[in-house]
Amino acid sequence: MDFEQSPDHFVGTARVGSGAPKKAPVPVKIIVAGGFGVGKTTTVGAISEISPLTTEAEMTAESVGIDNPGQGSMKTTTTIAMDFGVLTIDQTLKLYIFGTPGQSRFAFMWDDLIKGALGALVVVDTARIDDCYPAVDYFERAGLPFVVGVNTFNGQMTYSLEEVRWALAVRDDVPVLSYDARFRASVRDALLVVLDQALDKAIRARST
Amino acid sequence: MTYPDPDDPAHPARPSVRPFLQSGSISAGGYRPTRSDEPPADDQASTLRPFVITSGRTDGADPDIGMETQVTVNHAAMPMRLSPEMRAIVALCDDPLSVAEISARLRLHLGVTRILVGDLRAAGQLDVHVLGNETPDPETIMRVIRGLRAIT
Repeated sequence: MDFEQSPDHFVGTARVGSGAPKKAPVPVKIIVAGGFGVGKTTTVGAISEISPLTTEAEMTAESVGIDNPGQGSMKTTTTIAMDFGVLTIDQTLKLYIFGTPGQSRFAFMWDDLIKGALGALVVVDTARIDDCYPAVDYFERAGLPFVVGVNTFNGQMTYSLEEVRWALAVRDDVPVLSYDARFRASVRDALLVVLDQALDKAIRARST
Repeated sequence: MTYPDPDDPAHPARPSVRPFLQSGSISAGGYRPTRSDEPPADDQASTLRPFVITSGRTDGADPDIGMETQVTVNHAAMPMRLSPEMRAIVALCDDPLSVAEISARLRLHLGVTRILVGDLRAAGQLDVHVLGNETPDPETIMRVIRGLRAIT
């Protein structure tokens, strides 16, 4: 095969001398969850310093049951796309923002995703509030700090924030706010509220 | 038991009280959507099935290797013959790069990328920077807050 003749297939020695390797930054992450077309990618893109990248994750065999409970013979393979962005805080700290589908059929991958996450922003479109129920449930159970962010990208809210809070029945200490996914400052402020929740939790965890 | 697809823009589900508050496990929820969340994949049949690259392995990815985990080349590694995909990964990681970025840039499935990165780590070709403490400490969060406040 062609590439076996390539002189490039030896790695290591050829690269020695290309300077001291850069120290890897510490990565932290925030999850942006929500239903289809709710503005996850817009949110990620507004804050990211790079155009949002897409990675595809394949549903694993043991997760098939989530989509087809009780019907193991109907094996379907689902590939889902996840958009994410990056924000370099400084040379030693990088913030990753992962957008993930908010429906319960994707819950199989949330375990992986929330490991080590600072917190989550649950994006809500007031025209389809119950898109976000599974994500809210999941983050509540997982004990991950989260904030409900009503995206006002179409310039209107069908329901007030109080009504959204009532419909979601989230705890009083879970912030419900509105923001505009198209504007960086607005997304930044929403993420700052998430970080505020994360900081509270981290301080509580340390003092116990 | 079928529920209207909450994704369906033509028939948006009406807001109601969250149905899972009294229910058991999360997977017991009533969402049985009939539609996929993403736009239809174009011509999937012509692409290589992703796990051929990993010799059919779909598990065995190191749980320590997360999407955001940073990966760098081990310059002291002994030269060895690598598959084209592995070579591509090594070539990308001169500067620290996350597993998710490797996956996106090489258009490799995330699961495949994690397995290959784990293999390359085991072979000594890559340094995978697994964090010691999983839960973020307040100091780190404060730095993120300060960094975010600084952007306009």
